[in-house]
Amino acid sequence: MAANQTLTFQSSDGVDISVDRDVAERSLLIKNMLEDLGDAHEAIPIPNVNEAVLKKVIEWCSYHKNDPPSTGDDDDSRRKTTDIDEWDQKFMQVDQEMLFEIILAANYLDIKGLLDVGCKTVANMIKGKSPEEIRKTFNIQNDFTPEEEDQIRRENEWAEDR
Amino acid sequence: MTPRDSTAASSRRRPSLSTKPRPRTSASAAPPTTVVESDPWSGVPVLDPRDDENEVLEDMNCFPDGVPRRRKTKSFSNMRHPVDGLRALGRRLSVSIRNKSSRHSVQPLDSCHDSGSDSWDAGVRDAAVSRRASLSSVAGWQYYAPIAVPIPGSGRAPPILPQNIYAGSAARAAAAAQNEMARSERDGTKLADPNRLTLDSESGIGIDLRDRSEGSDVDLAVVRLDPVTFLPPEIMSQVLACLDPPSLMQAELVSRSWSEQASSRHIWRQVFRRAYGHHRPSGLSSKRKQPAGLGRPVPNQDWKRMFLVRRALEHRWKKGKAAAIYLQGHTDSVYCAQFDEDKIITGSRDRTIRVWDAHYPWPCRKVIGPSPAEVPGTGPVNNPTQQTSGTPPFLTIHPPPTQSAGTGALVEGTDDHHSASILCLQFDEEIMVTGSSDYTCIVWDIKQDYRPIRRLSGHRAGVLDVCFDDRYIVSCSKDTTICVWDRATGALVKKLLGHRGPVNAVQLRGDLVVSASGDGVAKLWNIASGLCVKEFPSKDRGLACIEFSDDARTILTGGNDQVIYQFDANTGDMVRELEGHGGLVRSLHLDSASQRIVSGSYDMSVKVFDAETGELSIDLPGWTTSWMLSVKSDYRRIVATSQDSRTVIMDFGYGLDGIELLEEGS
Repeated sequence: MAANQTLTFQSSDGVDISVDRDVAERSLLIKNMLEDLGDAHEAIPIPNVNEAVLKKVIEWCSYHKNDPPSTGDDDDSRRKTTDIDEWDQKFMQVDQEMLFEIILAANYLDIKGLLDVGCKTVANMIKGKSPEEIRKTFNIQNDFTPEEEDQIRRENEWAEDR
Repeated sequence: MTPRDSTAASSRRRPSLSTKPRPRTSASAAPPTTVVESDPWSGVPVLDPRDDENEVLEDMNCFPDGVPRRRKTKSFSNMRHPVDGLRALGRRLSVSIRNKSSRHSVQPLDSCHDSGSDSWDAGVRDAAVSRRASLSSVAGWQYYAPIAVPIPGSGRAPPILPQNIYAGSAARAAAAAQNEMARSERDGTKLADPNRLTLDSESGIGIDLRDRSEGSDVDLAVVRLDPVTFLPPEIMSQVLACLDPPSLMQAELVSRSWSEQASSRHIWRQVFRRAYGHHRPSGLSSKRKQPAGLGRPVPNQDWKRMFLVRRALEHRWKKGKAAAIYLQGHTDSVYCAQFDEDKIITGSRDRTIRVWDAHYPWPCRKVIGPSPAEVPGTGPVNNPTQQTSGTPPFLTIHPPPTQSAGTGALVEGTDDHHSASILCLQFDEEIMVTGSSDYTCIVWDIKQDYRPIRRLSGHRAGVLDVCFDDRYIVSCSKDTTICVWDRATGALVKKLLGHRGPVNAVQLRGDLVVSASGDGVAKLWNIASGLCVKEFPSKDRGLACIEFSDDARTILTGGNDQVIYQFDANTGDMVRELEGHGGLVRSLHLDSASQRIVSGSYDMSVKVFDAETGELSIDLPGWTTSWMLSVKSDYRRIVATSQDSRTVIMDFGYGLDGIELLEEGS
């Protein structure tokens, strides 16, 4: 099979998008599927990802197509920090809905690197904030009773003898 | 005393020894010359090379990758839609304050596609999505901006300091500020595919919402979604696992569903290990494992509780709050000690080796050596009266001496023991090696009740220090030589010659050996070549102890100059001098995982330095009544031995609720 073979993805909303095979194979789901089924001559349906998200995902995969393949071991160092490289930071400058959709797509398509970057981006939106600030960020209602909230606070402050 | 008192006390350190009744042996500054084997630099303890093969850190991923995850998320787009109307409404309610000054901002990327015929996202979401315009994203930016400054904690909570302001704000900007990129991209795709238009008719509700919003302004453009609702739990768990502990604790307070997610053990395990777990460089360590206080990797381990306990423990270290537990039984100076979670082994001038239980009530399990009758007149023992002049123990415990041990009932009737002082020892899971003033080392089988395996003879004077790894046993002697022995066979592999004085201390990392000599020079040797690679001289007088970091990059030495020298092993440069002791620095221990340097001195104090900054962090003077001869530490305690015949456990975890959770033993 040629390295630059072109595949076609069909998004959930029915749009066909051409993708170079090496780019497409950043997705382990696709890669495994191609290995199992042989070459795909028809459009590959991606039922959970709409066109806009799919294009973002392909953009990421194109940029990262030469990254060393994920080793698969789930070592902590990958999550050690919330540092994100510059290109990925720019790439993730999208609204929350798109961000979450990208994360879900990365998860579904099994693109570990993209999933990591997405999760770190969300973590950075939480990091260093007070509960109220987090609530505002994500438009969340505080459904705690004051007692419950106090209980958790006290639990977390425990340090035997302050 | 209240915690506050002890805090105050810990910050005072007085050079107050002069006001105290001095133990006889410490009265003279000069090393005693009367007793052959009590060379003041002799019997220096051994650092325990640590083992990381046995890391208890296997990652038990509760959410394995692959199939389950995929299956779970498959339905996300369906789940989302019913919520959409609500979301749009919520947006309207929540965003209106935030775009005051945003209108004049220029956003280069938006607008040009805005007129596109919507098609691709013709679903319910359409109405909400397509309303987003550039201005709102600027509002988003302004909303996020203040978060880069420290947030005062609420109530008694500590303030929240952004850990990485740059990355944080950039990422926040990424997440919030630039809707345009997405918009233009989406709009672009809409333009590109006008024939999807027909699908619009499916989304009656969406169109409705849009119509209503037509006249309203850009307030509605910032989409705010609860990730806990939107993302499947295993992904949210990955998100939360990226957080630092304070942020994670704040996240618990957001809402009930957040609390449920953020307190999960899976997440706390990762957070705990990131905070305290330390993957040591492999290859340089032996099988010995210094307890690191990382708990057991058992199912249902309460990792959050462990974090809280660990945090409280660190707090005690910071304050210098420890209990003193005195192990009494030796009848003369205790020269050396090593411990793990199960036991403490000490070696003494009384020619015996004692094995103590590391747990309450710390009984002496075993005495190895000649029966007391064989030992002629025991040496001077100071009156073990409590003498406190700095940070005193918050609690002092004197376990009753184990009767049987005292009478020699525990002493094996073996002829194979040292016939003079035990000056040094090291053990791992399999063997213990001791060095003695009788010029020999003995290798003991730990697994077979400390049966002696063989004696290493070759030195022509007392063996002052010993250490070993999987391959070699290295011993150094008053005869100025260092011997390298084969661990498996006991054969003498090499003799390292070059020191011009007694070699008081030795450490081993891989093929590298460092040694410290009374001649005032520390040397770095390569075992393979048998040659000295580098020299690290003291400024003035003799060296008594040496410590070699796990990564073999840092060398610490101490001695008669009363300071601790820190060298870079690669360049040979002196990095800094750690000051504080008022007497010969007799023993050093570096705990890399906790970043602590512990030192014991003839000034009768134990001091703890921050390994990163070199700052003196805890001063523990006067816990014994004579010279400190050996110090070792782990995550929760320091074990120090003294010329006053006692071993003191300085236990920072004593009585701490839940401290047992941190133990790693099986």
